[in-house]
Amino acid sequence: MEFFKKTLDPVIALAAIAVLDIFLFLLVGAWTVGGGETMMTGLIAKFFMGDALNRIPFWNLVFVPDFGYWKIYISLGMLTGAIVGAVLSGEFYIRYPRRISEWILITIGGLLMGIGIRLAFVCNVSTFFGLTPEMNLGGYLAISGIVAGAWVGSLIYKKILEG
Amino acid sequence: MSVVGECIVAFIFGSAVGLLVQRSRFCNTAAIRDAILFKSFRNTKALLVAMIILTVAFTTFISIGEGNPMRFDVGLNTMAGLFLFGIGMVLAGACTVSTWVKAGEGNIGAMWALLFTFIGMFLFSLVWSVNYWPPASSSMTGQPDLEALQLGFANAQTLQDTFGVPAVVFGLVQALVLFLIYRAIRRKETAQARHHETVKAERKPTTPPAKPAVVVDAAQ
Repeated sequence: MEFFKKTLDPVIALAAIAVLDIFLFLLVGAWTVGGGETMMTGLIAKFFMGDALNRIPFWNLVFVPDFGYWKIYISLGMLTGAIVGAVLSGEFYIRYPRRISEWILITIGGLLMGIGIRLAFVCNVSTFFGLTPEMNLGGYLAISGIVAGAWVGSLIYKKILEG
Repeated sequence: MSVVGECIVAFIFGSAVGLLVQRSRFCNTAAIRDAILFKSFRNTKALLVAMIILTVAFTTFISIGEGNPMRFDVGLNTMAGLFLFGIGMVLAGACTVSTWVKAGEGNIGAMWALLFTFIGMFLFSLVWSVNYWPPASSSMTGQPDLEALQLGFANAQTLQDTFGVPAVVFGLVQALVLFLIYRAIRRKETAQARHHETVKAERKPTTPPAKPAVVVDAAQ
């Protein structure tokens, strides 16, 4: 099938995603990822900690672990769709960073993403595909933050590449 | 809609997104990072097109009271959080979408980034449980609270309510601004391509290379 042989134009892909996001907005709410990831964190923590998790107020007041939270399934769907796409196009293979410096950068980057999402109450997806198209003030604050952060991140990245 | 229905809809949506992102190699991180670092706009243009479509559609539906817009207070934490996120996504080389999509391609680095995103969220939950900031949804008022560095809630709906003008009018203005950014990028790309062609043409020799001169061996 041609779809799995050639790389799709990202403009076409994103236009299609936008149309799907309109339906999602009408049915449940715009595309978001951070909330689902937080709920997964809570569910994983509940699995390992059991009732001890109840002693952390965040998991009682902000995110009460719940398998019925629809945003979790967006992430699981993205993982499934990517596996299907990668397998059918012959692009699925195990790859991993070769250098220790890459592992360190990914570790720090992952931590900053997790902390940043929870501090802001939004992620990059809700910024660009939800809040800003809804003309939410948070969208403009978030875009200013993410562009400034990416600029600082790029300076660090460049320094490391050159250094 | 029932809880199960919501989860099924979300899963179908996510699967289609995962497939489209995997096949197009779209990356939200690259949309910002590549524009800053390499002046390359492949992903930026796609992001802008999606935002234009969504702005017009969402504000149209908000105008007639349809749809489910996000509703929560925003403040300094919104900007500070995404600032940290912006640094993190460039260092990790992936954002919330590409970590899932790359993980689905068998990328262990992306799975590692995902694991530490979860750990970062858990660490933040511990800090939040001490200072209770930013305010939880249950204590949000929708009004500015400068003591808590909160600006309240505002979106296309509140604009419509305040000014009595349909939300879509504001949406069209935003879509126009996004389109102008898109057009500026296209013009920049055209100029880059033209410059590239000129440099290439200048490097290409215009006359065929001269035949090597016959060297007379002095020893003959």
